[in-house]
Amino acid sequence: MTGWSVGALPWYPLHFVPAVDLLSALPELIVGAGMVLMLIADLLVPPSRRGILAVGTAAVLSAALVAVIWQWGGAAHAYATFDGSFVADRFGLFSDALILSTAIVVVLLSPPYLAGRGLHAGEYYILLLASVVGMLTLAGGTNLIVIFLGVELLSIPLYVLAGFARDERRSQEAGMKYLLLGGFASAFLLYGMALVYGDTGKTNLTAIHRVLLEAVPAGHVSPLLMAGIGLIGIGLAFKVSAAPFHWWTPDVYEGSPVVVTTFMSVATKVAAFAAFLRLFSTTFGSAQSGWTVPLALVAIASMIFGNVVALAQRSMKRMLAYSGIAQAGYILIGVAVGQPDGTAAALYYLAAYTAMNTGAFAVLTILSSRGRECDEYRHLRGLGRREPFLAGLLAIFLLSLAGFPLTAGFFGKFFLFSAAIHDGQVPLAVWGVVTSAVSVFYYLRVTLLMLGQAGETEGMDPGSTGGDQLESWAVQTGDRRAGWTLPGRVLVLTAAAATLVLGIFPTVVYGVIQGIHAVTG
Amino acid sequence: MNHNLFPGFIGLSAALFAIGAVGVLVRRNPIVVFMCIELMLNAGNLALIAFGRFTHTMDGQVFALIVITVAASEVVVGLALITGVFRSGRGLDVDELSEMRE
Repeated sequence: MTGWSVGALPWYPLHFVPAVDLLSALPELIVGAGMVLMLIADLLVPPSRRGILAVGTAAVLSAALVAVIWQWGGAAHAYATFDGSFVADRFGLFSDALILSTAIVVVLLSPPYLAGRGLHAGEYYILLLASVVGMLTLAGGTNLIVIFLGVELLSIPLYVLAGFARDERRSQEAGMKYLLLGGFASAFLLYGMALVYGDTGKTNLTAIHRVLLEAVPAGHVSPLLMAGIGLIGIGLAFKVSAAPFHWWTPDVYEGSPVVVTTFMSVATKVAAFAAFLRLFSTTFGSAQSGWTVPLALVAIASMIFGNVVALAQRSMKRMLAYSGIAQAGYILIGVAVGQPDGTAAALYYLAAYTAMNTGAFAVLTILSSRGRECDEYRHLRGLGRREPFLAGLLAIFLLSLAGFPLTAGFFGKFFLFSAAIHDGQVPLAVWGVVTSAVSVFYYLRVTLLMLGQAGETEGMDPGSTGGDQLESWAVQTGDRRAGWTLPGRVLVLTAAAATLVLGIFPTVVYGVIQGIHAVTG
Repeated sequence: MNHNLFPGFIGLSAALFAIGAVGVLVRRNPIVVFMCIELMLNAGNLALIAFGRFTHTMDGQVFALIVITVAASEVVVGLALITGVFRSGRGLDVDELSEMRE
């Protein structure tokens, strides 16, 4: 043992043992361990009984959700662990809860849909769990390295999931487009992080925050740092699909299997916005004068572009993709306003978005579980007659997305716009209101279509244009039981209840998140 | 370390990043586009290591190692997806991937 005594290394071993608190990463560990378990379970479960995997995956996600709720009480004064790289603060835990809830809904709705399309493979659940680990890591990461790792861990399984229907051209195309543009965005994110690191010499958000606090009042903000912040902003804007970095969104949403689209459109956006808020509102908060104006322009561009192009769509997935771009614009208002009002308003909108968007896609998933994808507007024509209950629920979600009173979307927008006005950023609120008015048209159009206003016989008449497809669609929908499973019913009703609760009793949730702010460690 | 070399490293990395970004935008073969993305990631690695040396911290090297790992897994997934598209009878041209149009 000569030469290896403690005396010879008085500080070295201690210095390199980081402060690790495994319990702070409990949800991530549960989901990660669950992923490995599912990998083994997939080998043991016979192909005809893959529904067991869905139940197991949902159980893992529920356990993680319980862990998140358990952590909530102790997270009032969160501190970063893993040597300052990760934190379980209430901001991150709230995002975690939204991500896990979405994942549970997606997993439980998946088996009938995937089986109907012949895609029911065990890998689906494993990839989904891997992506969830990445999202949870991203929501709690307080180090540039961890944030980059979180982004990649959420993206790479999603590339595969987008192309999961690997014999279908559209799905292949979605997977490849997502891969190429997602990789492009990651490269921007990485280079931005490299520049921020180069200027500050730190990767830890707390340390970067401290450097900025000293540099900004003294006027020592270097162009290198601002370029880095800008590139990180571009990278994250890709991930939340804000204009003008949104090109991939409509094609990827349309081509992917609808359950994957649900997961991608809600959970990815929540996780990416969590990182966005933690980086911009908190870490780079003192340099706000440098990035507020570009960010506000991106927000306005997203609101205008998303809402205007959505008007011209004839496919539900594409419409919801453009609507998602617009929603990203609204949430960016919260980032541009900053702490504390902007963050709380953005979190409220994310909660509302989770409830209403997951709900809308869940109804589409149930309708698509009957043999073929229910995506075109004409498939929905007359749905109010055929299935008044599902049509009514879809109408609630669409009206909420449009921001009608008594629904979640109304208060979501209200909090964001009032935060913008209080902060003196009136143009953001004005553009938000104007574009919301535009959005009412396309959401109401679908709602009226379901009421069977315009020629619902077209779908029943094989002689009309596209008759073959419509006929087979009508035959398929004869089986009303398919997809309308007990978990499906419970989950869609829960999403509708959440949409209404968030719209009628906003203080229930707003009171909880009002004091929350993203800590850096 | 000779700090006079520092602008050279950063200049080289910025040039590589720009070449990669332009390549992604103008090239049409998905494999070449993918290589350009890798070039951009490696430009980031070069910057990270140069900055790490410059600021006398280890974070840059650790970051670069992680990026190398991540890039490798991205390649695995990426080449599989590209092969899948190629086997479906479509050539290697990203402009021909236009099943979906509004």
